Amino acid sequence: MDYLLSGLIQAFELLFKGDPETYSAVKTTVLASSLSVAASMVIGSPLGFCLGYARFPGRRSVRVVVDTLLSLPTVVIGLLCYAFMSHRGPLGHLGLLFTIPGMAVGQTILGLPIVVAMTATAVENLDDRLKQTILTLGADPRQLLLTSLWEARFALALAGAAAYGRIVSEVGISMMVGGNIKWHTRTITTAIALETGKGQFAMGIALGLILLALALMVNVAMSGLKRLSE
Amino acid sequence: MSETLYHLEKVTQVYGHRTVLDVESLHIEARSITGVIGPNGSGKSTLMRILAFLEKPASGRVSFQDQPFTKVTLEQRRQVTMLNQEPYLLKRSVKGNISYGLKIRGISDTSRPVDRALSKVGLAPDKFLQRSWRELSGGEAQRVALAARLVLKPKVLLLDEPTASVDRESSELILRAALDARDQWGTTLIIISHQLTWLRQIADRILSMDYGRLSPVH
Ligand SMILES: Nc1ncnc2c1ncn2[C@@H]1O[C@H](COP(=O)(O)OP(=O)(O)OP(=O)(O)O)[C@@H](O)[C@H]1O
Ligand SMILES: [Mg+2]
Repeated sequence: MDYLLSGLIQAFELLFKGDPETYSAVKTTVLASSLSVAASMVIGSPLGFCLGYARFPGRRSVRVVVDTLLSLPTVVIGLLCYAFMSHRGPLGHLGLLFTIPGMAVGQTILGLPIVVAMTATAVENLDDRLKQTILTLGADPRQLLLTSLWEARFALALAGAAAYGRIVSEVGISMMVGGNIKWHTRTITTAIALETGKGQFAMGIALGLILLALALMVNVAMSGLKRLSE
Repeated sequence: MSETLYHLEKVTQVYGHRTVLDVESLHIEARSITGVIGPNGSGKSTLMRILAFLEKPASGRVSFQDQPFTKVTLEQRRQVTMLNQEPYLLKRSVKGNISYGLKIRGISDTSRPVDRALSKVGLAPDKFLQRSWRELSGGEAQRVALAARLVLKPKVLLLDEPTASVDRESSELILRAALDARDQWGTTLIIISHQLTWLRQIADRILSMDYGRLSPVH
């Protein structure tokens, strides 16, 4: 067990000395996940609003599909993105493969169902009087959408935090679409996978600690938001 | 010369298989004050929601300013506002709640009208403007909700039991505010209340709703 302990000590050294390789992976993770959470929110919250708000035939089926997509495996998303982004694929000319934007596209697909499902639930739970109040004060359809989303803002932030938690900890998409390129697309999770495979525990542990800290922050934020959204 | 704002003919509303509203004929004159009484569940609020364009009737003809229900424009809808039976405030400050209707109409200079509307319902602006929606009692919330309607200087003001959760003094204030609205802006009022004596002080005519049907009260 010695190697674990010495790994831990070295891990703290890496963290406190600001090891550039370690922090490069952190930077990539934060960059890619921020991009993809932002995209998931921008695309997902209006969709979730429509799904939770509108009454149209087939709405229940759409809900089932979205709920199923919640458990879409990251390797399947990775596979799909790879197929589309490789130079033989239909999106090959965009040159997204092995880039941070490319990873963000895949992670957006991962985060989207979370945001859509949670927004839809939040909107369904909005008070019926809210809609009547907004309309009777003179809102047009666009203002109704925006004000309803704003009224559900804490629940929306909760959706964003949940999506962030899932995205920041995924490996499959980062590995397959990003390619785990050092100094470039290597993320916390792909670095841990690689370093552990090489028997280099120190950096793995250091990055694991950062990941845990991120997860803790997300959870603290979520519990605060839950209280506010009630 | 009197102008008829609303024409309703054979208007019904159906929830599930139950007909909850069945109005033979109703005409609302501009600048009139109509009182509506009736037992719980008789369809009063349902009628109000139709007059406020918040729900479509199941059958019958409703027109507003000679425009059929489905053709009513946003501009026309904006002349009509309703105070819900259970008042609901947006999750923002008192000021944010009252200025909301002005802001979505593109009016940015809201502070004077908001102050005035708040004073009208008997709440001191310096004490209440910055309060958040959670820091209000039931009666205060109801009066803030009313101020949010008054600030719009509506052509039609629909009040669904405005005095249900306020004290005597406040129901006097609400009475005053309603009459002022009519006198100053020519507002047409339709008011639901269970307090017949209160209603008699203000309404030009009183209608009684029973099992979804309207009849005049003398
Ligand atoms: N959204 C709805 N879905 C189904 N039924 C409804 C709905 N809203 C109202 N009802 C029913 O319609 C009938 C009329 O309701 P409404 O709220 O218009 O009565 P009301 O006269 O305003 O009663 P109260 O004095 O209690 O406010 C009631 O029997 C009620 O149960
Ligand atoms: Mg009612």
